[in-house]
Amino acid sequence: MRGLMTKALATAALLALTVGAQAKETVVWWDFLSGGDGVRMKSLLDQFNKENPDIDIQATTLEWGVPFYTKVQTSAAIGQGPDVMTYHLSRLPLGASTGTLREITPDELKAAGLSADNYGPANWKAAQVDGKQYAIPFDIHSVILYYNKDLLKKAGLLGDDGLPKGLDGAANFEAALAKLTTGPDQVGMSIPTADNGTTWRVFYTLLGQQGGEFITGDKVLDGDNADKATKALAEMAKWTKEGWVPKQTEYPASIAMFTSGKAAMHINGVWEVPTMADLAKSGKLGFEWGAVQIPVIFDQPATWADSHSFAIPDRKGNELSPEKLKAVLTVIKWMNEHSLFWATAGHIPAYLPVTNSEDFKKMEPNATYSSLAKTAVFDPSSKIAGVASPIYDAASNYFMPAFNGDGEPADAVSAAKDELQGLLQ
Amino acid sequence: MKFGRREIIAAYVLVAPFVISYLVLFIYPTIKMVELSFTNAPLIGAGDWVGLANYVKLSKDNLFIQAALHTGYFVLLTVIPTTLIGLAIAMMVSRLNGWLQSLVLAAFFLPYILPVTVVYLIWTWMLDLQFGIAQYAIELFHGSRVAVFRDRYWAMPTVAFVTIWWTNGFNVLLFIAGLRNISQDIYDAAALDGASRWQMFRNITWPLVWPVTALVLTIQLILQLKIFDQIYLFTQGGPFNSTYVMVQFIYKNAFQLNRGGYAATVAVALFAVIVVVSVLQYQVLRVRGGKS
Repeated sequence: MRGLMTKALATAALLALTVGAQAKETVVWWDFLSGGDGVRMKSLLDQFNKENPDIDIQATTLEWGVPFYTKVQTSAAIGQGPDVMTYHLSRLPLGASTGTLREITPDELKAAGLSADNYGPANWKAAQVDGKQYAIPFDIHSVILYYNKDLLKKAGLLGDDGLPKGLDGAANFEAALAKLTTGPDQVGMSIPTADNGTTWRVFYTLLGQQGGEFITGDKVLDGDNADKATKALAEMAKWTKEGWVPKQTEYPASIAMFTSGKAAMHINGVWEVPTMADLAKSGKLGFEWGAVQIPVIFDQPATWADSHSFAIPDRKGNELSPEKLKAVLTVIKWMNEHSLFWATAGHIPAYLPVTNSEDFKKMEPNATYSSLAKTAVFDPSSKIAGVASPIYDAASNYFMPAFNGDGEPADAVSAAKDELQGLLQ
Repeated sequence: MKFGRREIIAAYVLVAPFVISYLVLFIYPTIKMVELSFTNAPLIGAGDWVGLANYVKLSKDNLFIQAALHTGYFVLLTVIPTTLIGLAIAMMVSRLNGWLQSLVLAAFFLPYILPVTVVYLIWTWMLDLQFGIAQYAIELFHGSRVAVFRDRYWAMPTVAFVTIWWTNGFNVLLFIAGLRNISQDIYDAAALDGASRWQMFRNITWPLVWPVTALVLTIQLILQLKIFDQIYLFTQGGPFNSTYVMVQFIYKNAFQLNRGGYAATVAVALFAVIVVVSVLQYQVLRVRGGKS
């Protein structure tokens, strides 16, 4: 009898333990962040887990782009996948149209203390589809112009303030590139010309600088937008044709050309800021560097931009419990509040209390180029747009060859236009 | 011979696991795929019955026609060359003896056991524009370096070349088996009659190894019509759609454009093409082989 009593007590004690353990909510997290982004996110996640003993984030990093988004879509459809994930706002309409994303209702936002007032209006709106909130913005990221101060100074293209001068306008920009190019081993600028993402970002920047729009209503490159697109692509093709920008350069190679001093300027995402900063800090760069908003090559300032955001997958038949949802929204809010550290990866935080803080305004070179956010052009809000979308494919298939001098820009634009228009029907 | 009831039951029990798994894993999905091709279903979930609309759309889809042509081009570039190369290598290897033969055979077979991703890594490095060792060869013949996977004229032949390099070992193996089946006596008799080496090949080796050749050609045809992995890794269908093939078209429609029904339609079309072409080819080859 006594033995039985002991057993019963032990069982009860164990049960109590399990219940206690269950009070700790686990949040399964998927992201696509690698490189400098990945390192910084990992330390944010570690910090979160340390500060929040009642929530345990189990994070997995998957491959950026098509692999990530295909996996998210298929796993959500069968009720699997994470509780929360990173998501590009550019792809939100596509994600919502495939039923991958769960709406975050106004009540849920309010209960979690997430408010539209803390985000830029355009940024917040980009996280909605048909008025429904599907994501919470985390940052704004864009492409910028990295430059070698020593080389620009030698060419007389550096102002006393340490910023480049005389780069605005196509004629000036081309003249500068020509001046900075002395041979195949000393070129004006390096760009990952063999990378479809970069091709799209530079193209969309130049389209935006002419006030062009990629999609209007349900028409792709309607009216004179096609001419503007051709003009943008022709400008890019001219850079490679003249030898100012090396052709067919892979992503890492284009960075290496800049960091080794072979290219005086470099266009790439803000996420490469840590690469330059780390090299400069360890004294391996060998020159003074800076980064600014892309010069106004055509009519008006504009730069392609996208946002990382947090979204919740719509797991069919395996929806988040209210407790889990609460934990997820807590994580999202915490991440936004701690996004000053995320800015060290080059990004501009989406959370206004952070970007308005004195700490952020002192952060260089972010503070110099963060002005780009005001004139940023986001990818068209369409189910064919965004990372790993048909538009990115078209950039790879049609624009990238033209950028590298294979085929006429006008042909590339009309082929891409036809194909994408066909997908909108 | 008559079977008892017990024996019949035993036979059913023994055959059942295969039949059931075949029905569940192959036949059922195939029927579902055909069914899906008559609907407008997304990638996952049900859709509405649309009759033949997908097939009508397919017949007018310019991109599909391009994909079909490119697949044909790829088949042309791979099937017959890889068969002939396989035969040539097998004949050379079969002249060797002992451990040397095993060693050479292993060397030719080695690429075949590599996963496609490893093949991809090896050849992107070999053909890298700046650092690739194969670029010296291209420079020698072409005069300048070529970003082979980003050039619309080079892309498909290069993928075909890598595919042959990768898969040829298996053909070599089949041909070796075929060559070993030819009795040495026939060659000895021919040699006594003063037959030249070419005559021996033309009149003994070629006709007697023909069944294997027909088999290799058919296997290759089916395999290469389904080309996808290499294209997906090397070129993603570009540049300018020059390597856009049928399975890529299916993949894109299903997984990127979320058009399950339409993707199934293309899959059915590809299925039909493979069945028709391979049956036709095998019959033609058999008849031809029988005559010669």
